[in-house]
Formats: sequence, C-alpha cells, structure tokens
Amino acid sequence: MCAPGGGGRLTGPVLMAAPDTAPPTLATEDVVLDAQGLVREYGPVVAVAGIDLTLGPGEFLTVFGPNGAGKSSLLGLLAGSMRPTLGRVSVRGQQLDFGDVSWRRRIGVLSHRGFLYHDLTVTENLRFFGRLFELTDLDRRIPERLAHVGLSDRAGFKVGQLSHGMKQRLALARALLHDPDLVLLDEPFTGLDPSAAAVLRKVLVGLKDGQRTVVMVTHNLGEGLALATRVAIQARGRFVWQGGRDEIDTDSFERFYHEAVEGRR
Amino acid sequence: MSYLRQVQAIVWKDLLLEFRTKERLVAMGAFAVLSAVLFNYAVDRTAVRPQDIAAGLIWMTIVFGGLLGVGRTFHLEAQDGAFEGILMSPAPKDAVFLGKTLANFILLYVVSLLVVAVFMLFFGLELGASPAVLALVLCLGVLGFVSLGTLFAAVSSGTRMGETLLPILVFPLLVPMVIFGTGATGRLLASRPVAEVVGDIRMLGAFAVMALAAGALLFRFVVED
Amino acid sequence: MSVSGLRKGGVTLTALGLIGLVVIYWLSFFWVSTEIRQGIVQRIFYVHVPAAWTTGLAFGIAALTSAMYLWLRDERLDRAAVSAAEGGMVFGAIMLTTGPLWGKIAWGTYWTWEPRLTLTLLLWFIFLGYFMVRSATDNPEKGKRFAAVVAIVGALDIPFIHLSVIWFRSLHPAPVVIKPEGPSLPGDMLTLLLASFAVFTVLFFGLFLLRYALETVRVELDARAREVAA
Repeated sequence: MCAPGGGGRLTGPVLMAAPDTAPPTLATEDVVLDAQGLVREYGPVVAVAGIDLTLGPGEFLTVFGPNGAGKSSLLGLLAGSMRPTLGRVSVRGQQLDFGDVSWRRRIGVLSHRGFLYHDLTVTENLRFFGRLFELTDLDRRIPERLAHVGLSDRAGFKVGQLSHGMKQRLALARALLHDPDLVLLDEPFTGLDPSAAAVLRKVLVGLKDGQRTVVMVTHNLGEGLALATRVAIQARGRFVWQGGRDEIDTDSFERFYHEAVEGRR
Repeated sequence: MSYLRQVQAIVWKDLLLEFRTKERLVAMGAFAVLSAVLFNYAVDRTAVRPQDIAAGLIWMTIVFGGLLGVGRTFHLEAQDGAFEGILMSPAPKDAVFLGKTLANFILLYVVSLLVVAVFMLFFGLELGASPAVLALVLCLGVLGFVSLGTLFAAVSSGTRMGETLLPILVFPLLVPMVIFGTGATGRLLASRPVAEVVGDIRMLGAFAVMALAAGALLFRFVVED
Repeated sequence: MSVSGLRKGGVTLTALGLIGLVVIYWLSFFWVSTEIRQGIVQRIFYVHVPAAWTTGLAFGIAALTSAMYLWLRDERLDRAAVSAAEGGMVFGAIMLTTGPLWGKIAWGTYWTWEPRLTLTLLLWFIFLGYFMVRSATDNPEKGKRFAAVVAIVGALDIPFIHLSVIWFRSLHPAPVVIKPEGPSLPGDMLTLLLASFAVFTVLFFGLFLLRYALETVRVELDARAREVAA
C-alpha cells in the first residue's frame, strides 16, 4: 500500500523525527485518551517503563514492537484491566481509578483471547455482555452489530462451532456493542485468513470514519500502517518512536522499525 | 436496579453454561451417590445406626462434593479469558461475586437435596417431623459454604496450586457451619421439636451473612490486577 | 524508623524477653506453689496459656494490618502482617505442643477437643494458608493481597469458631483466670501467670521487630538488585 501524500520527501531513517517527539497538543474537549507517565511492574520485571500518550477522536494509533516490549501490558493499562504502578490514564476526562467504574463504558477491548464462552451461542454471548454493560435495547442492537461484522447468519451457532476468523469478528462485535469512545485491539489480525482480515479491516476503517479512537497493537506492518493515523514503536517498555502516519515512508519502514527497536534509530 | 440486572446476568450465564455442559452437576451428583455407597461399606451397621450418624455423613458429603463444584467456578471462565471481559465491564466486583455465589448456591443446594434423598434411599433414613425446617437448615449452611468457597476459589485459582489449595483455606473456616449444621440436622432427623434448633438456625444465618458480606467486600481485592 | 533502630529495639526486647523467660521458668519450678489436683505438671500452664494469648495477639495484629494494607496499600503494613503471622505460627506451635503434653500427663489424653486448643489449631492452619497463598503466586503483589484476604476472613470467622467449639463439648477444667467474677487463682499463681503474659508479649514484640527489620532489608535488597539489573 502506498503512503498517502508526502511520498519521496523522506528517504531514510536519518531524516525521521527524534524518538521523543511530543504528540500534537489537543484542546481539552477533544482529548479522548490521556495517559501520563505510565509504568507497570510485575515484581522485579518492568513491563512498561514510562509512556505518555494523548489521542483525540478519529485517531488510530498503531503500536508496533517485538515480543516482550510490553505492548499487551500497555493495552491492559489503557483498558483499565490493570493498575499502573505509576502514572495515570484518563478517558474523556474521567480518570481510570478503580472506585468509579462508569468509565468502563467508554472502552471496548478486543483481545486475542476472545472473551467468549464456547458453549453459549453468538447471541447469548452478546446478550450476556450487553447486560453487564447495562444496555437496554439489545433486541435491536445485537442484530445490528452482527450484521456489521457479517455474522447475522450465525446468530444461533455456539461459539465453539465458529472458525477462528468468525470468533474474532464476534469478539469485535462484543467490543463495539456498547459504542465505546476508545477501542483497544490486541493483535486482531493474528491467525486470520484473507477474507476475515478484509472484514476486520472494513470495520476498523469504519471506526475511524465514525470518529472513534483506536489503539491497535499488531505485528502486521502492512495492515498496521494502512489503518494508522499515528504510529508508535515500543521496545523495552518505552515508545522508542512516536509520530504521525504521514511522517513515515512505507517502503523503508521495515528497516526503520528494526533500527528503532535495536536502538540505532 | 441495573446492579441486580448485572447480578442476574451472571447467575443466568453460569446456570446456562452448566445446563449446556452439565459438567459440575453430574460430577457433584455422582459424587453424592458414590459417597453414600462407600459410606455403606465404611460404616459398620451392626455397631452404629445410620440414623445416628446420618447428619454428619450428609454434611461431609455436601462439603466434599461442594468443593468439587465450587472449586471449578473460575475454571469455566479461564477458557477464553472470558473472566477478564467481565472484569473490564462496568459491573461492580461485588455484583460479580454475588452472581457467581448465587449460581453456585443454586447448584449446590440442588445437590444437597439429592444427598439427603440418596441417604434416605440407601439407609432407610426418615426425614423427621419438620422437613421444611431441614430444607432451611440446608439452605443456610450451603449459602455460607458457597460464599466462602467462591471467594477462596478465586484466590486458589490465582495461585500455582489451584484447586488443591481450596480445602486448606476453607476447612478451618467451615467448622462453625459443620457444628451448627450437623447439630440441627441430627436433631431434626430425630424429630426433635423445632424450638431446639432455632439457635443453630440463627447461627447458620449469621454465618451465611458474614460469609456473603466478607466475600462481597474482599472479592475486588482478589481479582484486581 | 530506620532498620538499625528496629533491629536494636528488636534485640533489646528479645533479650529482655529471654531473660524474663528464664526468670519465669525458674519461678515456675522453684517459687510458685504446686497445684493440688494436677501436681507438678500443672506448671506447664505458665507456658501454655501465655503462648495461647500471644498466638491470638499475633493473629489480631496480622488481621488488622492486613485490612489496613488492602485499604492504604502501604508496604510496611504488609511487612507487619507477615512478621506477626510468623510469630503467631511459632507461638501457636508452642501452645499446640505443650497442650497435648500437659493433657497426657495430667488427664491421660493427648487431645480433648478443648475449645481453646481447637481454636488455636484452626488459627495455626489459617496461618498456614496465609503463607501458602503468599508463596504460591508468581506475582508477589498478588500473593500479598491474597494473604491479606485470608487473614481478614479468618479474623471474621474467629467469633463463630469460638462460639461453635465452646457450644460443642469441653473436657478442659473451667477457665481459672478470665472469668466474669474475677480470677480464682491463688495469689502467687496469678502473679506468675500475669508475669508470664508480660514476658511472652515482650518476647513476641522483640521477635516481631527483628522479623520486620529483616523483611525491610529483604525488600531493600530486591529493589537494589532490580536497579542493577535494569
């Protein structure tokens, strides 16, 4: 996929922006996600070693990085599924603290683990999570979401009977069921065949158009770049590079990525 | 009211899953019957009348069988990491605890009635003059048990030892339930007047309330990360 | 409070406690009068009963600091809890070994399901659960939280356990000290017993402080090791 605009202007890593480029400042009303000084330790292991991140509506941040870089931990912190050792996260101005849980309605998470019950049907799974999210119009909402991800004809199937690609689509429907402001995706393209990937891509593009904010962690450089408006490279718990999608030259990105990860920028 | 609906959603989901797979119900039910069979051979019926020791045997069967079922509470969630999905929802952690406990209670209460029925069948046991009160005693005892069991099942499934840790954590705490439960049951089976078991019932009730409250308050500290 | 300060305090108290212990033992053999019904073996009373008291004290401290740890998340509270729990296991073990010994010699049976002995046995197992849960988790932070929950639920259950085992049965002689109408021990026995309580308490806090200091140093070492590795 070709890089939109700016092609040819930047020819190599040497001209890339410095690793600690500050993200563009947004007006407060426009901030969807604001994370400051995030650190996460598991006993002696430091998974996230200080990350700042600010995103507005319609922004799509793709985070690349090797295994062990702490990407999943970062998502866990942004999702509110784990407490930061240091630092704080706010979604639409509401700080993620563990007392008031209403901010959880603003976040939707797609993990490579699925969060689905194999012995329940597609509809039953969505109905269960819909009720946990205090949604009252499930009879209308569920068929809509299933149509959105192309699973309408599988509504009565048990999840265990679905293919991996279909399970992923269902997990996406589940993540989006409650219309979250912030959508977090952990390796969503892993293990998907091309047609399933195409459906996923279509839905994700739709999220951008609908002014939803997305943070996606992926190994798939192609898909990741295609969807991103902003890109970050995470290694050893930090963002070794962060910037807009238009600052990247698609063709040389792979080399740039490896150099950034190895610390040679 | 959305709180109650969230609790209800979890109870319904757990029961629906159990209905589909029948794993725990069959395991606990089979355990009940087979325990009674073993007891028949383990107890010398010429030396002891089953009626005299039935209360104790019934409660121990319920406790051991209950451990089987309650210990797996979080196992069914581990399958696809589904529990994380629940924790990331706006449902308060105490609602999650109450939902899981209630589902476990329904399961184990049914099993406890089965245990009594099995003992009646195998040992010619008679229910005594106040079966409704007996049902109440079972209800309160089982409620206290599943409350502690669910809380510590969450603890033990977060450790390397898993379900094997559950009895060690729970047995010391169950002493009051066993004492008051068997005391009341024994007397009811012997058709003693209900007035004699009122004290036991009060203690069982207080125990159940304590266990439920402790679980609801502390569950969030167990499942947070 | 600095580690060396804690250690000094701990060593002082422990030394005082040990000296006091020697004094108590000497007094219990050579000074206090012999109890009529049980004879010489009754002197174990001055070890057994204070050990029970210390176990209960330890448990109370462990449960209280555990609850505060969950609330305030201060590491020092967890350190206090684990120090108290260890002390509790030690003194509990003392109580549980002197009890049956006394029972066998004085009344012919090792175990009589006496309420306080039973309660201490169950307490000891709750402590065991506390340590098992602490060490069986891969994430030490989780282990501390789990252990705190064990301690708190244990404390909530104690009143129920206490009432239930008392209600059940008892072969132990009637409580001779803590009775509503006042202690019924003759003067010199009461004095020695109260002195024993004091000595055991001092000894417990001495060991507690030493253990707390040790834990503080261990945490410090862990943090330094991490810095070096990073």
